[in-house]
Amino acid sequence: MPTRGADIPCVEGESDFDVRWPWNHGGLVPGLTCVFRVKNEARNLPWVLPPMFDAVQHVVLVDNQSDDGTPDVAARVAAECGATDRFTGTTYPWRVSRAGAEHLATAPDSVHSLTHFYNWSFSHVRTAYSMKWDGDMVLTPEGVGVLRDLAWQLEDSGSVVAIPRHPVSVVSESEAWIDLGFRFLEPWIYPMGPDFTFVKAFEWEVREFPTTSERIVAPEGLCVELKWVDADEFAHWTSVDDFANSRVPRKRREWEVYRALAEGKGHEVEGLHHVVAPAGVHVVDHVINTWLPQAERPLVRRPGRVDV
Amino acid sequence: MPVEELPIKRRVVFVVGSGRSGTSTMAGTLRTLGMHVPQPEVDADETNPKGFGEPQWVVDFHDELLKRVNVQVSDSRPSAWYEAGKLANFEPLRGRLHEWLDGQFAEAPELVVKDPRLAWFIGLWRSAALRCDATPSYVTMLRPVTEVVGSKQRYYAAKFGEVQRTAAWINMMLHTERATRGSTRAFVRYGDMLQDWTVPVFGIGQAFDLAAVQTAQANDIRAVHGFIDPGLRRVQLTWDDIEVPAKLREIAEESWQHLNALADPDGDQPAVHDILDQLRAAYSTLYDEAEAIAQSTALASYRDGLAQLPEPTNAVVKRGADRVPHSMRAMVPPSARRGLRKALGRARSEGA
Repeated sequence: MPTRGADIPCVEGESDFDVRWPWNHGGLVPGLTCVFRVKNEARNLPWVLPPMFDAVQHVVLVDNQSDDGTPDVAARVAAECGATDRFTGTTYPWRVSRAGAEHLATAPDSVHSLTHFYNWSFSHVRTAYSMKWDGDMVLTPEGVGVLRDLAWQLEDSGSVVAIPRHPVSVVSESEAWIDLGFRFLEPWIYPMGPDFTFVKAFEWEVREFPTTSERIVAPEGLCVELKWVDADEFAHWTSVDDFANSRVPRKRREWEVYRALAEGKGHEVEGLHHVVAPAGVHVVDHVINTWLPQAERPLVRRPGRVDV
Repeated sequence: MPVEELPIKRRVVFVVGSGRSGTSTMAGTLRTLGMHVPQPEVDADETNPKGFGEPQWVVDFHDELLKRVNVQVSDSRPSAWYEAGKLANFEPLRGRLHEWLDGQFAEAPELVVKDPRLAWFIGLWRSAALRCDATPSYVTMLRPVTEVVGSKQRYYAAKFGEVQRTAAWINMMLHTERATRGSTRAFVRYGDMLQDWTVPVFGIGQAFDLAAVQTAQANDIRAVHGFIDPGLRRVQLTWDDIEVPAKLREIAEESWQHLNALADPDGDQPAVHDILDQLRAAYSTLYDEAEAIAQSTALASYRDGLAQLPEPTNAVVKRGADRVPHSMRAMVPPSARRGLRKALGRARSEGA
């Protein structure tokens, strides 16, 4: 069993991809860093990155085998936001096992493991707090405000923060479906330190935190997760059957919504709302800036569990 | 064809900063120029004869929230910001504030909200403004720390000494600056308001795009001249008049100097923010040290408080676990029990 918080050499002997934790090599400064691990998110990043640069002190983006120009788009958006000095773009060239059975069969300290990929990505953080974020998750203006506050309020608290997200299936520039029928809630924000590293779980990785850490649940309406109906959002799954329903009901819900929209039966799914943007406004902007802020609370009226 | 008047966009100006820094003067000026202060307001008294410009609902709301998180208006604990900030995550509170603010916009499109307690809850207010499709902006009033402390000593109950008031000023001002950083904001010196209010207020009108200021008429201007009374700045003290520990004085004075720089034209710059961050860190360290030194006093006060509780509460507090049946207590995992004991100061020694 390795020492908690120690550096992690990878089993393949690729020294550039050993995990070297910042607390063992220098120190951490106050603030919050957002870490993206992305593959082919060029389409989403122009929506995702600008509000994130508004919200946090630093962004780390780790590209994994994109072939759609994701790293260039990220660097360009950072420059357009005047945030080049707050942006670290890097590449992780290894093929990473798919979530599910493939992940289970991969050693956690292999460069092919999701666990090692996460630990290596987060080893680039230099602030006291870090946040795992997906390349398709867009902050609302309220979300920007909440993260800005947390970036200085958390500081020495040791707390972790869970943030609800709302999947939005984009049909066209003017039409989308937002899923408010399920509570998608995960802890995203953690302190940096030996007690907060990633370990292997059955289907994917999990981030550890001490039982003494206070857990804050942020309000709803802070971020949406973009899914483009014309893309195969489920390509990265080995098989839906790999995910036990008891442990990952959210995956089942995503699958249910995906199938319903593909069959033109969106109206039949409870909690799935059809959104049409006014002329001249992109539906993503409409959802973020108008529809969600004005929607009646609570947004999600069904209970859900927190995936840790 | 007549030119249609564009509707006035919704704006809300939050006047923040330490009490006794001219916040009432700023709120009253904006009100006199035509911005709406939600009614009813807190009544004027001898400490503020021109009125506070504070909506009673807002004061009551903030008092309720401060009680809920055990934070006082002039709290000198850096950790109090974390405690107060957590409330911003409760959707019922966000909804309640949004509903109230939306009702105020039915009265007027441009609001001014002032309360010395407001800075603790900026996250909640920002959320409410965004849901009302209103643009929030912040005015922080600046006054030398020595004058604020002196004025509070003179006008408020002498419950806290100069040391605590100085510490609370640092805590409030440095964190208010941090909380509003990156937002539309202005820093205004109280002295500048009293000397020639037209300069800072014109600047705010432009920067915040306030129709009430931009379209103010001669009568409005005259009314503000009548409202602002330079004689109100009755307390003018220096460090010679206030006794505080050298390190605290040093942080307070440096904080004042650099906050003061934010009020200069183009003074709100990252280089100043960096220095203010360093001062916040220095203050937190100093506070931690002071807290550690005074821990015996804090524990003695806690025991005194327990002893003053009426029976049988007192007895229960002494051994609260006895109220819970053993079968229930056994369901609490050992690690959680150890944590609870530790939190209650009753950790058992090894092997106990």
